[in-house]
Order: sequence, then C-alpha cells, then structure tokens
Amino acid sequence: MSSSRAFRPLLPIGQVIVRGRSMEPTLRDGDRILVHWGGRAEAGRVAVVRLPGDRPLSVKRLTFRDPGGWWVERDNPAEGVDSWLVGAVPEADVLAMALFRIWPDPGRITHPRRAQ
Amino acid sequence: MRFLNAFTAVEVSAHCDLPCGVYDPAQAKIEAQSVKACIEKYNASDDAVFKDRAISIKEERSDLVKHHLWVLWTDYFKPPHFEKYPQLHVLFNEATKLAGAGGTKGSTDVAVADQLLAKIEEISTIFWETKAAA
Repeated sequence: MSSSRAFRPLLPIGQVIVRGRSMEPTLRDGDRILVHWGGRAEAGRVAVVRLPGDRPLSVKRLTFRDPGGWWVERDNPAEGVDSWLVGAVPEADVLAMALFRIWPDPGRITHPRRAQ
Repeated sequence: MRFLNAFTAVEVSAHCDLPCGVYDPAQAKIEAQSVKACIEKYNASDDAVFKDRAISIKEERSDLVKHHLWVLWTDYFKPPHFEKYPQLHVLFNEATKLAGAGGTKGSTDVAVADQLLAKIEEISTIFWETKAAA
C-alpha cells in the first residue's frame, strides 16, 4: 500500500489500461487511455483516483467537490464501487485526468448517459 | 525505471469488488450499505441538489439490491435448499419488498435500511450454510 501511495510517474503524460466494467459505456475493459498526471481536476471529467480503503488505482468520474475532497461516481450503476459507498476521495488522491482514448476506437471520452 | 512509466500502461480498476459469475450475498449487502449511506447523507444535507442526487442514487441502488437478491433466489438456490429452509421464500419476499417502493426505494428512514440489511444477513447465513454443506 505505502509503495503504491508514493506512485508518481516522471513524465506528466502517460497511458493507463482500464480493467472492469464500472465505467461502461464510457470506458470498456481493455481501453487504453492517455492521462495527464497531476492535471487540474474539474467536475464532470474522468480521473484516475485512489479510492479510500485498500483498493487499487481506479478510474471514476468526478461529480462535484465535497468538504472531504472529490465525490466520484461510476458511469455503470450495475457494477463497481463509488463515493456513495466509500465517501469522497481526498484531493491528493485524485492523481490524473483522462485526456482521450488511444486504443481501440481513438477519440474523446464523452459524458455519461445520466449527466446532471 | 520511473522513466518507463511514461510508456508503460498502468492498470486502473473499474471493477466491482466481487469476481463476476460467482454467487455471493455480499453483492446485495454492498448495495444495501450504499442505500443506507445515501439515506444518511440525504438526512444530513441541506443542499437541495445533493438531496436530489442522494434520492436518485438511493433508488438506483435499491433496484440493484432487488436484482442481486433475485439472482440468488432464482439462480443460486435450488429446490433442496427450499425444502431444508422452508422460510427462504418468505425471507426473499420480505427482503425484496424492503428494497422496493414500500421499503428503501420509497423511504428515507435509516431504520428501514437497517431492516433490509438484517434481512440480507439472514439470507447470507443460510447461503453460507448451504455452501458449507455442498
């Protein structure tokens, strides 16, 4: 846990690979995403976050700022874990902003069906 | 090594916490805990937008509790289980009702969410007994 908490890439731009279905239909299992480590967090954007508890790095959507940090949600209500279960994610644990999908189907990462 | 990070893809999870294709009442329990958390946050908030959101997520997750219970009821449990535990049908009926419009879907009372969690716990106890016996 402590080693992954110290995770900090050298270059600000990197790629991540998505595992699981909690962000469908926006992101699918196996999608490669270009991300900006340390990019500015904004409501509505997809981000790489560290969820509270002993959970792996996750990809979630930032919904709004909460006194405890960022409230994150999954796009697919049938799968996964989000702030309604684990609470807000501290600002320091919002690690990267998703920029766009590299592969397959390169392009912009769109907004969810149930947008506000 | 750190230099390579820029080129190697880091895995980021979008998983449920449970392995897919496996039966486990924990799935219903997690959603029911989420329902309870939504109710608590709804009751603690003065922000109309947040309250609206809490309500809609609570309803969504209540439906998921029902879904997961139905999967256990119709797919996992088999006739011999219902013979051995004759109360099972009633338990599922009461539990799914507690997640429905007459339960957590319609209510903002934490006590209702606790009743739902207690009912899921009863089902879970039987579930694990049948697993141990199998």
